Amino acid sequence: MASLNSVLLISFALFSIGVAGVLIRRNALVILMSVELMLNAANLNFIAFARHSGSASGQAFALLVMGFAAAEVAVGLALVVALYRRRDTVQVDDINLLKG
Amino acid sequence: MEHLLESLGRNMFGIFGLMALGGAALMVASKSAVHSVLAFLFAMLSVAGCFLSLEAEFLGVAQILVYAGGIVVLFLFVVMLVEISKFKQKEQQAVFHSQSRIALVAVIAGIGAFAGIFRNALFGPTSPEALVLRPELARGLDVAKQNAQAVSRGLFADYLLPFEILSVILLVALVGAVVLAKSERV
Repeated sequence: MASLNSVLLISFALFSIGVAGVLIRRNALVILMSVELMLNAANLNFIAFARHSGSASGQAFALLVMGFAAAEVAVGLALVVALYRRRDTVQVDDINLLKG
Repeated sequence: MEHLLESLGRNMFGIFGLMALGGAALMVASKSAVHSVLAFLFAMLSVAGCFLSLEAEFLGVAQILVYAGGIVVLFLFVVMLVEISKFKQKEQQAVFHSQSRIALVAVIAGIGAFAGIFRNALFGPTSPEALVLRPELARGLDVAKQNAQAVSRGLFADYLLPFEILSVILLVALVGAVVLAKSERV
């Protein structure tokens, strides 16, 4: 059986990879996927603590986070499609209208 | 052989976790967006395996349904819509952000700070006792047919209000996505 520490370490590594993806990639789609990865790392923590404490509240909240992630993907992808229609690009470096 | 299978069963979480990490790293590192989406799918399936090995069967199956069935397909759809037509002339552009070196250094420094702060709590001899998953406490989550019952009890008895708020959020996201993605003149 996995120890709680190993679960937390793997979840932390997943979250770090997600942060790195948001910071270093230029493609808006990959950035959205990295955000999903971070939400999944949080879910992993929820489930590990639910398993540890023996209550199902963490699993219920993980389910809520999953629904929230689905809503976020829907809005994010709609934004990407609208951006592509208007500016003809999905690279975040090219979106500098508000740059001072 | 039996010994091997037994140790495999004991370390199922670690195997799935490392697979998830590999898929995530591949997702961030791969050049083409389609490869990125496929690596994302692999990482999400591995995370579902992690959920299953932590005895959250309902959530593992829900993860497979929601991510592999919905979100990855949506991502692939948008990638096909957006990337393919422009792929030829965009190919020579850089994959990573112009300031990616600074960002990478910042992330690694953050990881180092985390490890330094929590080193004692995680590995040190002073770590508190309750750091192993305790099966005798998780008896309510133990059996597959009871897991969905436990989750639904948490969802519909204890956290009914967040659940209803989530349904409103999903409705708003639906309407917002339609408004954002529809063409200009309708």
